[in-house]
Amino acid sequence: MIASEKIKRRLKFHRPSLRARARAPKQRTSLGAQFSAANLSSSLAMQHCTHCGYVQYPPTELCGRCLEDALVYRDTIGTGVLLARTELHHSLWEFFKRRLQQGTWVMGSVKLDAGPVVLLHIGDIRLKPRDRVIVFSHSDNSQSVVLIAVPEDCDITESSTRHEIVGSLGLDQPALKEGGI
Amino acid sequence: MMGYQGVALVTPVTWGYAKQSPHGAAWFIGSVLREMCKRAGIDKTQVDGFAVSSFSLGVDSAVALTQHLGIRPRWIEQANVGGVSGIVALRRAARAVQCGEADIVACIGGDGAAHRAFEATAANFSSWSIDASFPYGAAGPNAAFSLITSHYMAKFGARREDFARIAVDQRYNANFYPGALLGHKTLSEAQYLQARPIAGPLHLFDCVMPCAGGEGFMVMSEARARALNLPFAGILATDELHNAHAEDPVQYRGGWTEYIEAFYQRAGYGPEDMDFLQTYDDYPVISMMQMEDLGFCAKGNGRQFVNETDMRFDHSGSPKYKLPHNTCGGQLSCGQAGSAAGFLGVTESIRQLTGQAGNHQVPGARLGLVSGYGMVNYDRGLCSAVAMLTRTKT
Ligand SMILES: [Zn+2]
Repeated sequence: MIASEKIKRRLKFHRPSLRARARAPKQRTSLGAQFSAANLSSSLAMQHCTHCGYVQYPPTELCGRCLEDALVYRDTIGTGVLLARTELHHSLWEFFKRRLQQGTWVMGSVKLDAGPVVLLHIGDIRLKPRDRVIVFSHSDNSQSVVLIAVPEDCDITESSTRHEIVGSLGLDQPALKEGGI
Repeated sequence: MMGYQGVALVTPVTWGYAKQSPHGAAWFIGSVLREMCKRAGIDKTQVDGFAVSSFSLGVDSAVALTQHLGIRPRWIEQANVGGVSGIVALRRAARAVQCGEADIVACIGGDGAAHRAFEATAANFSSWSIDASFPYGAAGPNAAFSLITSHYMAKFGARREDFARIAVDQRYNANFYPGALLGHKTLSEAQYLQARPIAGPLHLFDCVMPCAGGEGFMVMSEARARALNLPFAGILATDELHNAHAEDPVQYRGGWTEYIEAFYQRAGYGPEDMDFLQTYDDYPVISMMQMEDLGFCAKGNGRQFVNETDMRFDHSGSPKYKLPHNTCGGQLSCGQAGSAAGFLGVTESIRQLTGQAGNHQVPGARLGLVSGYGMVNYDRGLCSAVAMLTRTKT
């Protein structure tokens, strides 16, 4: 095969739409990777400032309030209020494009009682703005940690329950394409 | 704050808008520079100030461009601040000219649109978006603005029909502006309402079409503009503020509220004196937010305001109150050419105030307001900026 043809095929086969398995966005910064690592053994771990008590999210190196280098990961209560929600009909990412073929994808924003505003997947489509929620973290199919909100009265103390919710969203498995590469 | 006496804005240039393009950002930026020099009748070596904004320069910077383009500026600025980049460039350049740090400053925003480039920009926009927003559906800016729009609608009772007013009047304006990528198509309220859904309340005509393109203008002294026999616009007042209202859980206002009163005082004119308004329209709700925060109506009354206001450039609409808005169609009709979108309102304002707007000229335009907004680092646009520009006797 001549080189130019080979390159052409390679480019074609690298198209995400042709892949057998499409996964959620894996890319994180090193701080995001630390967030994932801290959350593997916790239902929700966030950066807390040991200097001023501020809870920081998204993860940073210095406290966003006092600027001290004093952030540590601690288990955090995930209760909060749903601020806004939206049903996505369109995505830039192949994994979500495939999930969207089966219906809309619901995401939203929550003001945690602990302080920060978090963007997240919504685990119960009945949730509406101002509803009380509880937020937990879980690995998705790209082995990165994401946040999910469910109604506050949902008992998520057991990790098996949390895993089940993630499974029902289709987040734990890649999106498959028959005959993909 | 010191005024802007003696500063002239000249040679508004819009260049190369295309849905996709094989050309890189340097091609758009260099082309705008070439066209501006031609219009000004100067050689590029006379450009001694260079302000550039671009998302797609990759490993290159404004400094690299000086070598590419063969210019030798003694003043340089690279403000990659998206939707406020044009106003920020204008502010910095005006001070440079006033202080004698540069004589002729070329201010240029330009971006390419390679295949899947928008996807890459969205996936890598900021560290917070990489870690904490893109993983949630990977919808790019549509996700954040869908949340902002639905929250605004619930808080103030705005309906899709109200946002349609903005999109439909802008498309009318674009129908008279040959540079608008969507200007050859008309848009009715029914078409707007029936468009396919994108995210929550956002449908197709609420979203800009990413594209390639360049926008630019030059800043010099009035004396220099007169010597070159160039029509020019003047600056009455400007301001900017970033990361304002951080305590609002969901964004429903921007930094303008913090300085707009003092701004109008410095300018010596109020919103009622404006012959046109250019807002940053990445989504109609953001234009509505600007109309409120810039004092054209009270907070939450944007819905009523757009229904009572004719926003066509030629005053031909039925509402009694006239305020030509986004007179070339804005990004919603022209396309969003990356950083150039942050220049669009400025170049269009200079065109209007120097009588160079051709078929979409606002009759008798003397005073105009241009506003910028942008940079969704995580859940909201952080930047706000505004400038009041005026026609000047040459
Ligand atoms: Zn602190």
